[in-house]
Amino acid sequence: MKGFLRRLSVRLAAGLVMTAVVATFTFFLIHALPGNPGDAAYEQFVMQGMAPEQARAKVAVIYGFTSHESLFQQYTSYMGQLLRGNLGVSISYSGVPVSHVIASAAPWTILPVLTGLLVSFLVGVTAGVVAAVRRSSRWGGLLSLSGSLMAGVPSFVLALLLAFLFHTLWGLLPFGDTSDVTLTPGLNAAYIGSVATHAVLPVATYALLSYGGWLLSMKSSVVSALGDDFILAAELRGITPATRMRYIGRNAVLPLFTVLALSFGFMFGGSVIIEHIFDYPGLGSLLLQSIGSRDYPLMGGAFLLITVAIVLANILAETLYSVIDPRVRR
Amino acid sequence: MTETLQTPAATEDRSAEVSVRDLTVVYRTDRGELPAVSRAGIELRAGEITGLVGESGSGKSTLALSLLNAVPAPGRIASGSVEVAGVGDVTKLEGKRLRRVRGGALGYVFQASQNSLNPLKTVGKQLLDLGRSHEVEDLQGLVRRARELAERMGLDADRVLDSYQHELSGGMRQRVGIVLALVLNARVLILDEPTTALDMISQAAVLDIVRAVHRENNLATLIVTHDMGVVSEVADRLAVMYGGRIVEHGPALEVLQRPSHPYTRALIGATARIVGDTTRARALPGRPPDLTTLATTGCVFRDRCPLASAVCEEEDPALVEWTPGRYRACHADPTGDRP
Ligand SMILES: Nc1ncnc2c1ncn2[C@@H]1O[C@H](COP(=O)(O)OP(=O)(O)OP(=O)(O)O)[C@@H](O)[C@H]1O
Ligand code: SF4
Ligand SMILES: [Mg+2]
Repeated sequence: MKGFLRRLSVRLAAGLVMTAVVATFTFFLIHALPGNPGDAAYEQFVMQGMAPEQARAKVAVIYGFTSHESLFQQYTSYMGQLLRGNLGVSISYSGVPVSHVIASAAPWTILPVLTGLLVSFLVGVTAGVVAAVRRSSRWGGLLSLSGSLMAGVPSFVLALLLAFLFHTLWGLLPFGDTSDVTLTPGLNAAYIGSVATHAVLPVATYALLSYGGWLLSMKSSVVSALGDDFILAAELRGITPATRMRYIGRNAVLPLFTVLALSFGFMFGGSVIIEHIFDYPGLGSLLLQSIGSRDYPLMGGAFLLITVAIVLANILAETLYSVIDPRVRR
Repeated sequence: MTETLQTPAATEDRSAEVSVRDLTVVYRTDRGELPAVSRAGIELRAGEITGLVGESGSGKSTLALSLLNAVPAPGRIASGSVEVAGVGDVTKLEGKRLRRVRGGALGYVFQASQNSLNPLKTVGKQLLDLGRSHEVEDLQGLVRRARELAERMGLDADRVLDSYQHELSGGMRQRVGIVLALVLNARVLILDEPTTALDMISQAAVLDIVRAVHRENNLATLIVTHDMGVVSEVADRLAVMYGGRIVEHGPALEVLQRPSHPYTRALIGATARIVGDTTRARALPGRPPDLTTLATTGCVFRDRCPLASAVCEEEDPALVEWTPGRYRACHADPTGDRP
């Protein structure tokens, strides 16, 4: 237990360092972009007919720094603000703190991604076991084929196809936004139902996208476990097939936990395209929008949140792994 | 050991725990089904340790697995029978009845027993899985018996039952394998290469233990090995395999001192060389056959045999009792002309 806590804190510290590195990177990247963002905003305000001094003052307010400070001074004050949880102020949502904008968008990405990932993991892993055990039968072959096909489909094709079939053609599922805008958000059945049906398409896309990967990796993992010495030994001891299957399953699923964390990151990246196609206002949409409107503080904040999410997912996966595998415990 | 002179083929021998008759096991390959064990016969009797020796690929593991009707795909038992006392012909069993014989009447210690445990579960939990698989009602009694066996083998039972495989040394794993093979009171103990992966000291310790549990439980024990040293140390009887055939079989001491089959002589000669007796050193010329290079007519050893004659090209020699208690499959004169 002591070792467990120690390793967890080491991982958390490493995650913190990782986040700081990414924040630094983002900061300098944004400042290295052609055209100082402050200058861009300044020009925009002047074009809108603002007096030059007034425009300069507004830029300073928006960015939280005056651009005649040195880059290093700007960096230290940015990091200092970051430590206090201050991500700056959004440009496109004029004046609203970036943290608020992100906080209201984040659940609409995190929840669908997590749900999609969980569903595809459970279904894909189960299907992988069946595909491995029945690999010489027709059903097993078909399952594997379904995995290979799904693993090869690009995300935008799948999203467009699902949107076309379930919304345009059959009219079964709503599209765009997180719920019916005429409903008042709250704990009422109508609103929750609406949220759920609106989430089906993005969640299904996330799930289908990763299903093939789970199936194929679980299948190959199970096939190799089937030939493991200890499985043959268990058979020679007369262990029941059900128990042997449990042995195989647990040993085979182990390497997939590391992949689980990685795919959480991938999905976050994928949310940009998927939310765009479904017109779903999560972090992905926000990121795209912040790039389009050159809202650098918002962009930096969104990057940072995605980083933190990936880092946390990795820590979670490693911790889970060490709970399950006695060889890395202690 | 007066009973060592009984004939291994005697059908009415009551003390035989396992009698293998005319067993042929084939593997499916690109070139069709090829025999890895051909018309083999052997008996394992209570109170006797039988050593089964032969070069790599001679079919030892395949024969040993056949005793549990556990030849892995793409292999299958093509013909013959394996009678187990109180059970019947194992080759005819299927499903649950077959499963219950494995680990029940027949305890098997796997060739790769260094990795014969589930790495994610403690030994104790796997012991309980074993008990439940065999519908043992008194699980506490099972644990007690496992403790006794473990202590008897010089293990710290509490520690071992609480350990994962990676926490045990090679010798400890081997002993745990034996505990699990015997904990359900198997009458027959089959050990495939029990000492191969161990250092010299652990080897000696494991052999001592095998001898002790064998004697105390009056087991019928089969030790598969390619190590003549192991055989000379523990075996009462010795069977020599070559190209899927049992080519010589008899009381261990006699076979070791006066080998009759040219292959046995070569094997012992090769061992003597390793031991350091250079005057008797003799290389075994040629390479052991595999399934695809095995002769289909005549004697399978003839390409490497110093005594091969015309008849050896034509006829596969049968295993016959050439002198009471001793069997061999060879056309040449059993006593004369030692190469
Ligand atoms: N699954 C398989 N498919 C095809 N051929 C096989 C298979 N398993 C074993 N064989 C062949 O059967 C023959 C006997 O193999 P077996 O494992 O019984 O030999 P062995 O005497 O135990 O050898 P070793 O000392 O290496 O363990 C060998 O020629 C081997 O190549
Ligand atoms: S039968 Fe012939 S070839 Fe075979 S071992 Fe005897 S003498 Fe050698
Ligand atoms: Mg073998």
